[in-house]
Amino acid sequence: MKVEVDEHACQGHTLCAMVAPDLFTLRDEDGHSEANNGGEVPRGLEQAANSAISSCPERAIRMIED
Amino acid sequence: MDDVNTVTTDGAAKTEELKKCPIDFERHGPGFREGFVDQTHELHAKCPIAWTGSYEDHWVVSGMDQVFAVARRPEVTNFRDADGSVNGYKGISIPAYDYGPYDTPSFLELDPPEQTDFRKVLNPYMSPAAVARWVPIIDELVNACLDDHIESGSIDFIDDLATVVPAITTMGMLGLPLADWDVHSEAQHALMYTPPGSPDHERVMKIVMASRAALTDAVPEVRANPRPGFVDALLNATIAGRELTDQEITGTLMLLVGGGFDTTTALTGQSLLWLSQHPDERARLAEEIDTLLDPATEEFLRYFTPAVGDARTFSDNVEIDGVEFKEGERVWVSWAMANRSPDVFENPDEVDFDRTGNRHAAFGLGIHRCIGSNVARVVFKRMITAVLDRMPDFVIDPNAVVHYESVGQINGLVNLPATFTAGERRGPGLTTTIERAQKIVVDEQLADRVTARRGR
Repeated sequence: MKVEVDEHACQGHTLCAMVAPDLFTLRDEDGHSEANNGGEVPRGLEQAANSAISSCPERAIRMIED
Repeated sequence: MDDVNTVTTDGAAKTEELKKCPIDFERHGPGFREGFVDQTHELHAKCPIAWTGSYEDHWVVSGMDQVFAVARRPEVTNFRDADGSVNGYKGISIPAYDYGPYDTPSFLELDPPEQTDFRKVLNPYMSPAAVARWVPIIDELVNACLDDHIESGSIDFIDDLATVVPAITTMGMLGLPLADWDVHSEAQHALMYTPPGSPDHERVMKIVMASRAALTDAVPEVRANPRPGFVDALLNATIAGRELTDQEITGTLMLLVGGGFDTTTALTGQSLLWLSQHPDERARLAEEIDTLLDPATEEFLRYFTPAVGDARTFSDNVEIDGVEFKEGERVWVSWAMANRSPDVFENPDEVDFDRTGNRHAAFGLGIHRCIGSNVARVVFKRMITAVLDRMPDFVIDPNAVVHYESVGQINGLVNLPATFTAGERRGPGLTTTIERAQKIVVDEQLADRVTARRGR
């Protein structure tokens, strides 16, 4: 499973990193989100990834098929 | 959902029908707070996009999907045309404020590219990484507020805590003297709780003017004595290729003070009141604070939505969700009502610490997302944590709670008196703590921007 943050849609609400801290890193300068490891979701963190997707107010995170 | 620019005959008919049945939307009126849940249900069921003649003709958007579509459209603008030279658009307030001589729009009422430049300048002072540096100072201030009342067994959570800490933190981030927080405090609250046309208006405008005058004086003062903070950042900013005028800087400072003072106060007051009414959840939050504080905070944000909504203007003809909007028409985007949408939130009228997928819009949506959201969260969390730790059995007399007369702008409380089992002081009171905190802010350059760490 892979996730992708649309950098144009992300506004730095920070909820993805709150619910899935292992999957997303917030930029120091503005708190905008970047997916870790090129968006690769480690086994066992699929639920956290889905939580992050459904927590984003801007709907900026999507799953991409491998 | 239907979200296209093509004009349809169905759209025209639906739009005409909505305009023929305007809703009552007197946000500042006496019944609005009590009627909020019922009206939200009604609008969600019948017309998540509605038309009203309250204050001025405008659209009211209350469903999350519709709010999401409207707030993020490039044809929907926050722009306020202060001198009437561009398009006459009226910005984010309905009814419009009388700004008097201070009518320079802040970046909340500007479009890109200027707005984008402002955000780039200020974001590094309020990002999660920037705010994390303030936690020790915030904790000192919170504990000082509690220390001043803990031996007496009674406190007003609004006057003695929730008003104080956000205000001092904001002063620190501005790079202005922490001790001056009370120059602005009452002005900011009164500005928000006083309905338009109130007999109290003259008193409020007087204290608001004093607050504005202090922010006007701060600009040349920081120019002469440079030190880190928002004021310094704005003095050195290049926005759309030019420097800012002093008046533009003052206008921006007013936005940052307005945003930083009253909103977090409202969230904290409402949440403490709710916790006092729900002892089981309060005990659970105290017990599991390490894991529950984050989701509880987001849930309180969703449920109470301190900044209830904002106005926008359509800058082009556009059809959204089957409704035709015309260029120049005004719209009120209700973050508070969107946050109760049943198609997004299960049991939307319940506070649920276990809620997942909480994509609330309490900080707005789109490019104008509350720039202070990270500050608000941290300050709120430190206050709640300390109260649950040091005053765990606090009781609030519901008859002594004073709600804002108007919750048309901020869903806040004027007073929230509480009693609890008296405890022991841990440190000096607020006055001494402010002096100590001021020294730390200066010595550690806390109000400076964060610089991105490399190689992450």
